[in-house]
Amino acid sequence: MITTVTLNPSIDREYFVEKNEVMKNQFIYNEENLKVYPGGKGLISAINFKELGYGDVQNIGFVGGKQGLFFEKMVQEHNIISNYIHTESEIRNNVKIIGKEPATYTQYNDYTFEVEKEEVDELIIRFKRSISESECILISGSVPVGVDFDIYQRLIKIAKDKGKRVFLQASGEALKLALESEPDVVTPYFKHHKTILDMEMEEKKDYIKAGKKMQEMGAKRVMIPFHCDRILFDKNGDVYQLSPRGYCIINWLGAGDAYNTAYLDYAFKTDKFDFIEANLRGGAAALWIAENRAVYLKERKDYNDCLDRLEVTKLEV
Amino acid sequence: MNSVTPDDNIRKAIILMYRSEQSVLPVVDHQNQFVGTIYSNNILKNIIPESFGFLDSSRLFYEVNEAVENLKHVKDENVDKYMASNRDAVKENSDMKKIADIMLNNKESLLFVVNDQGYLRGFIERSNLLHYLLDEVENNSE
Repeated sequence: MITTVTLNPSIDREYFVEKNEVMKNQFIYNEENLKVYPGGKGLISAINFKELGYGDVQNIGFVGGKQGLFFEKMVQEHNIISNYIHTESEIRNNVKIIGKEPATYTQYNDYTFEVEKEEVDELIIRFKRSISESECILISGSVPVGVDFDIYQRLIKIAKDKGKRVFLQASGEALKLALESEPDVVTPYFKHHKTILDMEMEEKKDYIKAGKKMQEMGAKRVMIPFHCDRILFDKNGDVYQLSPRGYCIINWLGAGDAYNTAYLDYAFKTDKFDFIEANLRGGAAALWIAENRAVYLKERKDYNDCLDRLEVTKLEV
Repeated sequence: MNSVTPDDNIRKAIILMYRSEQSVLPVVDHQNQFVGTIYSNNILKNIIPESFGFLDSSRLFYEVNEAVENLKHVKDENVDKYMASNRDAVKENSDMKKIADIMLNNKESLLFVVNDQGYLRGFIERSNLLHYLLDEVENNSE
Protein backbone atom coordinates (compact mmCIF):
# COMPACT_ATOMS: atom_id res chain seq x y z
CA MET A 1 0.00 0.00 0.00
CA ILE A 2 1.09 3.56 -0.70
CA THR A 3 0.20 6.15 1.91
CA THR A 4 -0.08 9.82 1.05
CA VAL A 5 -0.70 12.53 3.62
CA THR A 6 -2.70 15.71 2.96
CA LEU A 7 -3.33 17.78 6.06
CA ASN A 8 -4.88 20.79 4.36
CA PRO A 9 -7.07 19.49 1.52
CA SER A 10 -9.47 21.63 -0.43
CA ILE A 11 -12.33 21.50 -2.86
CA ASP A 12 -10.99 23.21 -5.96
CA ARG A 13 -13.38 24.87 -8.40
CA GLU A 14 -12.21 26.09 -11.78
CA TYR A 15 -14.42 28.45 -13.77
CA PHE A 16 -13.47 29.03 -17.40
CA VAL A 17 -14.86 32.30 -18.80
CA GLU A 18 -14.33 34.22 -22.02
CA LYS A 19 -13.09 37.31 -20.23
CA ASN A 20 -12.62 37.75 -16.50
CA GLU A 21 -13.96 41.19 -15.63
CA VAL A 22 -14.74 42.73 -12.26
CA MET A 23 -18.30 43.92 -11.60
CA LYS A 24 -19.67 41.71 -14.33
CA ASN A 25 -21.99 38.73 -13.90
CA GLN A 26 -20.71 35.62 -15.61
CA PHE A 27 -22.95 32.74 -16.71
CA ILE A 28 -21.60 29.24 -17.23
CA TYR A 29 -23.86 26.93 -19.21
CA ASN A 30 -21.35 24.37 -20.43
CA GLU A 31 -20.11 21.86 -17.85
CA GLU A 32 -16.73 21.73 -19.61
CA ASN A 33 -16.20 25.24 -18.29
CA LEU A 34 -16.77 24.27 -14.69
CA LYS A 35 -14.53 21.78 -12.92
CA VAL A 36 -14.89 20.68 -9.31
CA TYR A 37 -12.32 18.30 -7.90
CA PRO A 38 -10.63 17.32 -4.66
CA GLY A 39 -7.37 19.17 -4.22
CA GLY A 40 -4.31 18.93 -2.04
CA LYS A 41 -0.78 17.96 -2.91
CA GLY A 42 -0.59 14.47 -1.44
CA LEU A 43 -4.04 13.61 -2.74
CA ILE A 44 -3.22 14.46 -6.37
CA SER A 45 -0.26 12.10 -6.15
CA ALA A 46 -2.56 9.42 -4.69
CA ILE A 47 -4.88 9.79 -7.69
CA ASN A 48 -1.88 9.60 -10.00
CA PHE A 49 -0.77 6.33 -8.38
CA LYS A 50 -4.23 4.86 -8.95
CA GLU A 51 -4.15 6.00 -12.58
CA LEU A 52 -0.79 4.24 -12.99
CA GLY A 53 -2.36 1.01 -11.76
CA TYR A 54 -1.37 0.74 -8.11
CA GLY A 55 -3.82 -1.38 -6.09
CA ASP A 56 -4.03 0.04 -2.60
CA VAL A 57 -3.47 3.73 -2.14
CA GLN A 58 -4.68 5.64 0.89
CA ASN A 59 -4.83 9.32 1.69
CA ILE A 60 -4.60 10.37 5.33
CA GLY A 61 -5.42 13.80 6.69
CA PHE A 62 -8.17 16.07 7.94
CA VAL A 63 -11.54 16.82 6.40
CA GLY A 64 -14.27 18.88 7.95
CA GLY A 65 -17.98 19.58 7.90
CA LYS A 66 -20.52 18.75 5.22
CA GLN A 67 -18.11 19.82 2.52
CA GLY A 68 -15.58 17.44 3.99
CA LEU A 69 -18.05 14.59 3.42
CA PHE A 70 -18.47 15.75 -0.19
CA PHE A 71 -14.67 15.86 -0.53
CA GLU A 72 -14.38 12.32 0.86
CA LYS A 73 -16.95 11.03 -1.64
CA MET A 74 -14.98 12.59 -4.49
CA VAL A 75 -11.81 10.90 -3.22
CA GLN A 76 -13.57 7.53 -2.99
CA GLU A 77 -14.70 7.93 -6.62
CA HIS A 78 -11.01 7.51 -7.49
CA ASN A 79 -10.92 4.23 -5.51
CA ILE A 80 -8.57 5.71 -2.97
CA ILE A 81 -8.91 4.54 0.61
CA SER A 82 -9.93 7.70 2.45
CA ASN A 83 -8.60 7.85 5.97
CA TYR A 84 -9.60 11.18 7.41
CA ILE A 85 -10.00 12.74 10.79
CA HIS A 86 -13.32 14.59 10.65
CA THR A 87 -13.00 18.05 12.12
CA GLU A 88 -15.52 20.51 13.43
CA SER A 89 -14.40 23.22 11.00
CA GLU A 90 -15.47 23.19 7.31
CA ILE A 91 -12.92 22.23 4.67
CA ARG A 92 -11.36 24.85 2.34
CA ASN A 93 -12.73 25.93 -1.03
CA ASN A 94 -10.35 27.35 -3.61
CA VAL A 95 -11.79 29.20 -6.58
CA LYS A 96 -9.86 29.69 -9.80
CA ILE A 97 -11.16 31.92 -12.58
CA ILE A 98 -9.53 31.29 -15.93
CA GLY A 99 -10.13 33.89 -18.61
CA LYS A 100 -9.54 32.97 -22.23
CA GLU A 101 -9.16 36.36 -23.94
CA PRO A 102 -6.99 37.87 -22.58
CA ALA A 103 -5.47 34.83 -20.87
CA THR A 104 -5.85 35.40 -17.13
CA TYR A 105 -5.64 33.20 -14.06
CA THR A 106 -7.17 34.51 -10.83
CA GLN A 107 -7.14 32.46 -7.66
CA TYR A 108 -9.03 32.93 -4.43
CA ASN A 109 -7.22 30.73 -1.93
CA ASP A 110 -9.12 29.86 1.21
CA TYR A 111 -7.07 29.49 4.36
CA THR A 112 -9.92 29.41 6.88
CA PHE A 113 -9.74 25.71 7.75
CA GLU A 114 -8.87 25.21 11.37
CA VAL A 115 -8.04 22.10 13.33
CA GLU A 116 -8.36 21.53 17.08
CA LYS A 117 -5.63 20.03 19.25
CA GLU A 118 -7.78 16.97 20.01
CA GLU A 119 -8.11 16.36 16.26
CA VAL A 120 -4.33 16.57 15.80
CA ASP A 121 -3.83 14.02 18.57
CA GLU A 122 -6.32 11.74 16.83
CA LEU A 123 -4.45 12.12 13.54
CA ILE A 124 -1.23 10.97 15.17
CA ILE A 125 -2.96 7.89 16.61
CA ARG A 126 -4.68 7.08 13.30
CA PHE A 127 -1.45 7.62 11.32
CA LYS A 128 0.48 5.23 13.58
CA ARG A 129 -1.88 2.34 12.97
CA SER A 130 -2.74 3.11 9.35
CA ILE A 131 0.78 2.94 7.93
CA SER A 132 1.31 -0.67 9.04
CA GLU A 133 1.01 -1.96 5.49
CA SER A 134 2.87 0.85 3.73
CA GLU A 135 6.54 0.84 2.84
CA CYS A 136 6.56 4.37 1.60
CA ILE A 137 4.84 7.49 2.91
CA LEU A 138 4.45 10.62 0.80
CA ILE A 139 3.80 13.70 2.94
CA SER A 140 2.99 16.78 0.97
CA GLY A 141 1.45 20.23 1.24
CA SER A 142 0.62 22.91 3.74
CA VAL A 143 -0.38 22.70 7.40
CA PRO A 144 -3.78 24.06 8.48
CA VAL A 145 -4.27 26.59 11.26
CA GLY A 146 -4.26 24.94 14.67
CA VAL A 147 -1.64 22.34 13.77
CA ASP A 148 1.85 22.95 15.16
CA PHE A 149 4.67 23.24 12.64
CA ASP A 150 6.39 20.17 14.10
CA ILE A 151 3.62 17.93 12.76
CA TYR A 152 5.67 16.63 9.82
CA GLN A 153 8.63 16.05 12.13
CA ARG A 154 6.37 13.91 14.35
CA LEU A 155 4.81 11.98 11.46
CA ILE A 156 8.20 11.29 9.85
CA LYS A 157 9.63 10.08 13.15
CA ILE A 158 6.73 7.63 13.56
CA ALA A 159 7.23 6.37 10.02
CA LYS A 160 11.01 6.07 10.32
CA ASP A 161 10.71 4.23 13.66
CA LYS A 162 8.56 1.68 11.83
CA GLY A 163 11.17 1.36 9.06
CA LYS A 164 9.23 3.22 6.36
CA ARG A 165 10.69 5.41 3.63
CA VAL A 166 9.47 9.00 3.62
CA PHE A 167 9.16 11.47 0.76
CA LEU A 168 8.43 15.01 1.94
CA GLN A 169 7.23 18.05 0.03
CA ALA A 170 6.87 20.99 2.37
CA SER A 171 7.68 24.63 2.93
CA GLY A 172 8.49 27.14 5.65
CA GLU A 173 8.78 26.25 9.30
CA ALA A 174 7.16 22.81 8.87
CA LEU A 175 9.91 21.88 6.40
CA LYS A 176 12.67 23.22 8.62
CA LEU A 177 11.53 21.22 11.65
CA ALA A 178 10.80 18.07 9.63
CA LEU A 179 14.43 17.71 8.51
CA GLU A 180 15.42 16.64 12.00
CA SER A 181 13.51 13.37 11.50
CA GLU A 182 15.67 12.59 8.46
CA PRO A 183 13.23 12.10 5.58
CA ASP A 184 14.64 10.13 2.65
CA VAL A 185 13.68 12.57 -0.08
CA VAL A 186 12.80 16.24 0.32
CA THR A 187 11.44 18.66 -2.20
CA PRO A 188 10.63 22.13 -0.91
CA TYR A 189 8.05 24.37 -2.53
CA PHE A 190 7.47 28.09 -2.40
CA LYS A 191 4.21 29.40 -1.01
CA HIS A 192 4.05 33.10 -0.22
CA HIS A 193 7.75 33.92 -0.13
CA LYS A 194 10.62 32.61 -2.18
CA THR A 195 12.59 31.40 0.81
CA ILE A 196 13.93 28.05 1.97
CA LEU A 197 15.11 27.69 5.58
CA ASP A 198 14.56 31.46 5.88
CA MET A 199 17.12 32.09 3.12
CA GLU A 200 16.05 34.25 0.14
CA MET A 201 16.30 32.35 -3.13
CA GLU A 202 17.51 34.55 -5.97
CA GLU A 203 20.53 33.12 -7.72
CA LYS A 204 21.46 29.54 -8.42
CA LYS A 205 24.11 29.60 -5.70
CA ASP A 206 21.36 30.35 -3.14
CA TYR A 207 19.49 27.21 -4.18
CA ILE A 208 22.66 25.13 -3.97
CA LYS A 209 23.42 26.49 -0.53
CA ALA A 210 19.87 25.69 0.63
CA GLY A 211 20.00 22.15 -0.78
CA LYS A 212 23.30 21.43 0.93
CA LYS A 213 21.98 22.89 4.16
CA MET A 214 18.91 20.64 4.03
CA GLN A 215 21.17 17.62 3.64
CA GLU A 216 23.27 18.76 6.60
CA MET A 217 20.07 19.05 8.61
CA GLY A 218 18.94 15.49 7.89
CA ALA A 219 17.51 15.07 4.36
CA LYS A 220 19.15 12.27 2.41
CA ARG A 221 18.25 13.46 -1.10
CA VAL A 222 16.88 16.86 -2.12
CA MET A 223 15.26 18.24 -5.27
CA ILE A 224 14.64 22.00 -5.42
CA PRO A 225 12.47 23.65 -8.09
CA PHE A 226 14.61 26.27 -9.87
CA HIS A 227 12.40 28.23 -12.29
CA CYS A 228 11.38 25.47 -14.75
CA ASP A 229 14.41 23.35 -13.81
CA ARG A 230 15.24 21.30 -10.75
CA ILE A 231 18.48 21.21 -8.83
CA LEU A 232 19.14 17.72 -7.57
CA PHE A 233 21.23 16.78 -4.54
CA ASP A 234 22.21 13.13 -4.39
CA LYS A 235 23.10 11.57 -1.08
CA ASN A 236 26.79 11.19 -2.08
CA GLY A 237 27.08 14.99 -2.34
CA ASP A 238 26.77 15.26 -6.14
CA VAL A 239 24.63 18.10 -7.46
CA TYR A 240 22.86 18.13 -10.82
CA GLN A 241 20.57 20.39 -12.78
CA LEU A 242 17.61 18.92 -14.63
CA SER A 243 16.32 21.09 -17.49
CA PRO A 244 13.49 20.67 -19.96
CA ARG A 245 13.99 21.81 -23.59
CA GLY A 246 11.51 23.16 -26.13
CA TYR A 247 8.46 23.31 -23.91
CA CYS A 248 5.25 25.33 -23.82
CA ILE A 249 3.67 25.55 -20.39
CA ILE A 250 -0.10 25.92 -20.26
CA ASN A 251 -0.80 24.49 -16.81
CA TRP A 252 1.10 24.40 -13.52
CA LEU A 253 -1.55 22.63 -11.47
CA GLY A 254 -0.52 19.06 -10.72
CA ALA A 255 2.96 19.29 -12.24
CA GLY A 256 4.80 18.99 -8.91
CA ASP A 257 2.56 16.11 -7.82
CA ALA A 258 3.19 14.36 -11.12
CA TYR A 259 6.93 14.76 -10.52
CA ASN A 260 6.69 13.15 -7.08
CA THR A 261 4.52 10.31 -8.38
CA ALA A 262 6.74 9.40 -11.32
CA TYR A 263 9.89 9.63 -9.17
CA LEU A 264 8.41 7.18 -6.65
CA ASP A 265 6.88 4.98 -9.34
CA TYR A 266 10.37 4.49 -10.79
CA ALA A 267 11.75 3.79 -7.28
CA PHE A 268 9.04 1.16 -6.63
CA LYS A 269 9.58 -0.62 -9.94
CA THR A 270 13.36 -0.85 -10.11
CA ASP A 271 15.84 -3.10 -8.37
CA LYS A 272 18.74 -0.78 -9.12
CA PHE A 273 17.70 2.69 -8.06
CA ASP A 274 19.34 5.50 -9.98
CA PHE A 275 18.73 9.02 -8.66
CA ILE A 276 19.13 10.70 -12.06
CA GLU A 277 16.83 8.23 -13.76
CA ALA A 278 14.17 8.73 -11.06
CA ASN A 279 14.32 12.49 -11.59
CA LEU A 280 14.14 12.12 -15.35
CA ARG A 281 10.86 10.21 -14.89
CA GLY A 282 9.65 12.89 -12.50
CA GLY A 283 10.64 15.70 -14.86
CA ALA A 284 8.97 13.99 -17.81
CA ALA A 285 5.71 13.56 -15.87
CA ALA A 286 5.75 17.20 -14.74
CA LEU A 287 6.44 18.33 -18.30
CA TRP A 288 3.55 16.26 -19.64
CA ILE A 289 1.14 17.82 -17.12
CA ALA A 290 2.48 21.34 -17.75
CA GLU A 291 1.90 20.99 -21.48
CA ASN A 292 -1.59 19.56 -21.13
CA ARG A 293 -4.81 20.70 -19.48
CA ALA A 294 -4.80 17.59 -17.27
CA VAL A 295 -4.21 17.68 -13.53
CA TYR A 296 -3.70 13.92 -13.14
CA LEU A 297 -1.40 11.50 -14.93
CA LYS A 298 -2.95 8.87 -17.19
CA GLU A 299 -0.35 6.40 -18.42
CA ARG A 300 3.41 6.05 -18.18
CA LYS A 301 3.84 6.07 -21.93
CA ASP A 302 2.32 9.59 -22.10
CA TYR A 303 5.06 11.13 -20.08
CA ASN A 304 7.84 8.78 -21.10
CA ASP A 305 7.51 10.39 -24.53
CA CYS A 306 8.82 13.59 -22.91
CA LEU A 307 12.04 11.96 -21.66
CA ASP A 308 14.10 12.95 -24.69
CA ARG A 309 13.37 16.62 -24.03
CA LEU A 310 15.13 16.58 -20.67
CA GLU A 311 18.79 16.99 -19.96
CA VAL A 312 20.84 16.60 -16.80
CA THR A 313 24.06 18.51 -16.15
CA LYS A 314 26.41 17.84 -13.28
CA LEU A 315 27.21 21.04 -11.40
CA GLU A 316 30.61 21.80 -9.97
CA VAL A 317 30.06 22.90 -6.39
CA MET B 1 -11.10 4.74 6.45
CA ASN B 2 -12.85 5.87 9.62
CA SER B 3 -12.26 3.46 12.45
CA VAL B 4 -11.88 3.15 16.20
CA THR B 5 -9.87 0.74 18.32
CA PRO B 6 -11.21 -1.44 21.16
CA ASP B 7 -9.51 0.79 23.73
CA ASP B 8 -10.95 4.03 22.34
CA ASN B 9 -13.76 5.44 24.43
CA ILE B 10 -17.43 5.69 23.46
CA ARG B 11 -17.28 9.50 23.36
CA LYS B 12 -14.78 9.29 20.52
CA ALA B 13 -16.94 6.77 18.66
CA ILE B 14 -20.04 9.00 19.00
CA ILE B 15 -18.22 12.09 17.73
CA LEU B 16 -16.83 10.14 14.78
CA MET B 17 -20.25 8.66 13.97
CA TYR B 18 -21.82 12.12 14.04
CA ARG B 19 -19.18 13.88 11.96
CA SER B 20 -18.81 11.14 9.38
CA GLU B 21 -22.58 10.49 9.26
CA GLN B 22 -22.01 6.77 9.81
CA SER B 23 -24.03 4.93 12.42
CA VAL B 24 -21.76 1.90 12.20
CA LEU B 25 -17.97 1.99 12.57
CA PRO B 26 -15.33 -0.67 12.07
CA VAL B 27 -13.14 -1.54 15.04
CA VAL B 28 -9.50 -2.27 14.25
CA ASP B 29 -6.48 -3.23 16.33
CA HIS B 30 -3.34 -1.12 16.51
CA GLN B 31 -2.05 -2.70 13.30
CA ASN B 32 -5.25 -1.64 11.49
CA GLN B 33 -6.62 -5.18 11.29
CA PHE B 34 -10.39 -5.53 11.48
CA VAL B 35 -11.61 -6.97 14.79
CA GLY B 36 -15.27 -6.02 14.97
CA THR B 37 -18.02 -3.48 14.61
CA ILE B 38 -19.54 -0.83 16.83
CA TYR B 39 -23.18 0.05 16.17
CA SER B 40 -24.84 3.27 17.31
CA ASN B 41 -27.84 1.08 18.21
CA ASN B 42 -25.77 -0.81 20.75
CA ILE B 43 -24.72 2.41 22.42
CA LEU B 44 -28.27 3.75 22.43
CA LYS B 45 -29.66 0.56 23.95
CA ASN B 46 -27.28 0.98 26.84
CA ILE B 47 -28.17 4.53 27.69
CA ILE B 48 -31.85 4.92 26.85
CA PRO B 49 -34.47 3.50 29.20
CA GLU B 50 -36.48 0.71 27.62
CA SER B 51 -39.73 2.64 27.86
CA PHE B 52 -38.34 5.63 25.95
CA GLY B 53 -40.49 6.53 22.96
CA PHE B 54 -43.75 5.38 24.54
CA LEU B 55 -44.00 8.15 27.07
CA ASP B 56 -46.39 10.94 27.52
CA SER B 57 -44.77 14.34 27.22
CA SER B 58 -44.80 14.96 30.96
CA ARG B 59 -42.38 12.08 31.55
CA LEU B 60 -40.20 12.68 28.49
CA PHE B 61 -38.01 15.28 30.17
CA TYR B 62 -37.31 12.91 33.04
CA GLU B 63 -36.37 10.09 30.69
CA VAL B 64 -34.04 12.27 28.60
CA ASN B 65 -32.29 13.29 31.78
CA GLU B 66 -31.90 9.66 32.69
CA ALA B 67 -30.30 8.94 29.30
CA VAL B 68 -27.92 11.86 29.78
CA GLU B 69 -27.02 10.51 33.22
CA ASN B 70 -26.37 7.07 31.75
CA LEU B 71 -24.21 8.50 28.97
CA LYS B 72 -22.07 10.31 31.54
CA HIS B 73 -20.85 6.87 32.62
CA VAL B 74 -20.91 5.14 29.26
CA LYS B 75 -18.98 7.80 27.32
CA ASP B 76 -15.74 7.02 29.11
CA GLU B 77 -16.01 3.28 28.72
CA ASN B 78 -14.07 1.41 26.10
CA VAL B 79 -15.44 0.49 22.71
CA ASP B 80 -14.66 -3.18 23.31
CA LYS B 81 -17.43 -3.34 25.90
CA TYR B 82 -20.06 -2.41 23.30
CA MET B 83 -18.63 -3.71 20.03
CA ALA B 84 -19.69 -6.85 18.18
CA SER B 85 -16.67 -9.05 17.77
CA ASN B 86 -18.10 -11.10 14.95
CA ARG B 87 -16.06 -11.29 11.78
CA ASP B 88 -18.86 -10.63 9.33
CA ALA B 89 -16.58 -8.69 7.06
CA VAL B 90 -16.27 -9.69 3.42
CA LYS B 91 -13.10 -10.07 1.40
CA GLU B 92 -12.19 -7.69 -1.44
CA ASN B 93 -12.59 -10.51 -3.93
CA SER B 94 -15.88 -11.89 -2.55
CA ASP B 95 -18.56 -12.43 -5.17
CA MET B 96 -21.82 -10.54 -5.02
CA LYS B 97 -23.82 -13.67 -4.19
CA LYS B 98 -21.87 -14.18 -1.00
CA ILE B 99 -22.24 -10.52 -0.08
CA ALA B 100 -25.99 -10.68 -0.73
CA ASP B 101 -26.26 -13.82 1.42
CA ILE B 102 -24.50 -12.20 4.35
CA MET B 103 -26.52 -9.00 4.01
CA LEU B 104 -29.83 -10.84 3.93
CA ASN B 105 -28.93 -12.98 6.95
CA ASN B 106 -27.70 -9.94 8.77
CA LYS B 107 -29.81 -7.05 9.90
CA GLU B 108 -27.13 -4.51 9.10
CA SER B 109 -27.22 -2.54 5.89
CA LEU B 110 -23.46 -2.27 5.71
CA LEU B 111 -20.58 -4.73 5.56
CA PHE B 112 -16.92 -3.95 6.01
CA VAL B 113 -14.42 -5.15 3.43
CA VAL B 114 -11.00 -6.55 4.33
CA ASN B 115 -8.11 -7.95 2.30
CA ASP B 116 -6.66 -11.46 2.67
CA GLN B 117 -4.48 -10.32 5.56
CA GLY B 118 -7.47 -8.91 7.44
CA TYR B 119 -6.62 -5.24 6.89
CA LEU B 120 -9.58 -2.94 6.54
CA ARG B 121 -10.20 -1.78 2.97
CA GLY B 122 -13.66 -0.17 2.91
CA PHE B 123 -17.32 -0.96 3.20
CA ILE B 124 -20.23 -1.96 1.05
CA GLU B 125 -23.81 -0.86 1.64
CA ARG B 126 -27.10 -2.43 0.59
CA SER B 127 -27.56 0.47 -1.80
CA ASN B 128 -24.26 -0.50 -3.51
CA LEU B 129 -25.51 -4.05 -3.90
CA LEU B 130 -28.86 -2.87 -5.25
CA HIS B 131 -27.18 -0.48 -7.66
CA TYR B 132 -24.93 -3.28 -8.91
CA LEU B 133 -27.97 -5.51 -9.43
CA LEU B 134 -29.81 -2.71 -11.24
CA ASP B 135 -26.83 -2.32 -13.57
CA GLU B 136 -26.97 -6.07 -14.24
CA VAL B 137 -30.68 -5.89 -15.03
CA GLU B 138 -30.21 -3.00 -17.41
CA ASN B 139 -27.20 -4.57 -19.12
CA ASN B 140 -29.09 -7.82 -19.62
CA SER B 141 -32.09 -6.07 -21.14
CA GLU B 142 -29.97 -4.20 -23.71
